[in-house]
Amino acid sequence: MSFAPALRAELIKIRTLRPLLWGLLAVLAATVAFSALAGLDDSADPDFDPLFSAFFGVSFGQIAAITFGAQAVSAEYQGGALRVSLAAVPGRGRWFLAKTVAIGAPALGIGLVTGVAGLVVGTSVLGSRADALTWAEELRGVVGCAVYLMLMALFAAGLAAVLRSGVATLSILIPFLLIVSFVVGNASGSVADFLPDKAGQTVLHETWDGALGPWSGLAVTALWTAAALGAGAWCVRRRDA
Amino acid sequence: MPGGQAVPMTSIDVQDLTKEYGTRRAVDHLSFSVLPGRVTGFLGPNGAGKSTTMRLVLGLDRPTSGTATIGGRAYAALEEPLRKVGALLDAGAAHGSRTARNHLRALAATNRIPERRVDEVLEETGLAPVARRRVKTYSLGMRQRLGIAAALLGDPPVVLLDEPSNGLDPEGIIWIRELLRRLAREGRTVLVSSHLMNETASFADQLVVLGRGRLLADMPMREFIDARVQPRVRVRGTDSRALGNLLAEHGIEAAEGEEGRWTALDARPEDIGRLTAAAGLTVLELAAEEGTLEQAYLDLTATETEFAAAPVQPQEA
Repeated sequence: MSFAPALRAELIKIRTLRPLLWGLLAVLAATVAFSALAGLDDSADPDFDPLFSAFFGVSFGQIAAITFGAQAVSAEYQGGALRVSLAAVPGRGRWFLAKTVAIGAPALGIGLVTGVAGLVVGTSVLGSRADALTWAEELRGVVGCAVYLMLMALFAAGLAAVLRSGVATLSILIPFLLIVSFVVGNASGSVADFLPDKAGQTVLHETWDGALGPWSGLAVTALWTAAALGAGAWCVRRRDA
Repeated sequence: MPGGQAVPMTSIDVQDLTKEYGTRRAVDHLSFSVLPGRVTGFLGPNGAGKSTTMRLVLGLDRPTSGTATIGGRAYAALEEPLRKVGALLDAGAAHGSRTARNHLRALAATNRIPERRVDEVLEETGLAPVARRRVKTYSLGMRQRLGIAAALLGDPPVVLLDEPSNGLDPEGIIWIRELLRRLAREGRTVLVSSHLMNETASFADQLVVLGRGRLLADMPMREFIDARVQPRVRVRGTDSRALGNLLAEHGIEAAEGEEGRWTALDARPEDIGRLTAAAGLTVLELAAEEGTLEQAYLDLTATETEFAAAPVQPQEA
């Protein structure tokens, strides 16, 4: 059986669940709103990074992204929905790949819109303080923002397939992102640089000083995501539905 | 075309199937076949392994040992399986925030089923007027209808329904009965689980009875009932005593009930009618009392319980 029908079905499922669409919209709204707020703070910070200031809201937008990813998967673990899905597409690997693409594609799309909107709003709030940014840095920020948000949504999706619960996934990931990264994260140049969010967010900075650069950082996040998706796929294939 | 094969292309074949969850054996060396053209009632108390067996047939659970095939092939090996097998397992499977129509659209897309089928099954299950409402607004009966609509989506020759009449109103129960009869008449293979006897009796031709994961019976329903429940004849006349004497004279065992009514065991109404006519007795009522599925089922489970309890029962002197 071919892949396209399975993917089409999974895209219909995402399109037809209003909470998921609101989740995608929240990625855009939260990112732009918090980026604008960050830009308003003009106290002279020696660590000020104009690019990261414009993308500061991603730290909040990613919460919406992981909620989207986790919910899209956990919807399958309610009321025996997964049984209906797998009876229709018995190739479980193919089904999970379709689910992954159906989550990743809209997340990447909203990520690009968010990146552009965040940059435009962020730099206009910053005004002259953003003048030093080159267009190459801005482009890197936009693309990085989109890829990063997609990877976080997929990271949550993989975890949700392992835990079979959106609530469990979010109650692990949200405290992790809000607390662990903010607290441990400031200790730069340590293992913390390799945490999925910390590593990937390097791409949103104009300058960096850790072990990871913008693209290698994003690659580390991609490895985390690949690991989560791999574990999720393994669970979907191995477990009784 | 079957081409001389012993196995019909659309039969469900369960062979020595066993499923263990930890130490609990839900299905225990089960073997039976479900053939096309008739409704097979899948009976057994809750927890007997009916749902587990259906999940194993659909390749959703992995058997500990044994096989379950459809037309000789494992479910997972079927191309576009919804066009061959339709199943209702859980009424709660459709997401509450989605409309019934969108739920079916997504399902249709997986097997490249044309969207017109979505509207057809919505019409057929009586959900067309509420198809664009979100499923969370549905009653249990409407969710069951949606589950049945999903099962019929691919116009499959094999249909498996797990407790389809749960939550249906009386009209719905009549509707499902007629639907099942029609599906069998169209030559489809129909397996329907239930723990309600009277209801199963109203649609089943064949019975597969499970008890604690094991096969207790696999035979035509009529045969199952006749083998376990003696047919009886109820007879009432103007002269109850004469009637009793007449039956006794001819060696027909009978018990006297209320209002001079006699219940004759192991007799046919034809015989008793002739006897009373010859004796010149006035008969007010003469009727065959056929055994019910419920009686037959209880008889079966009673012997099973006895059998199961035998080792612990102290030997009587």
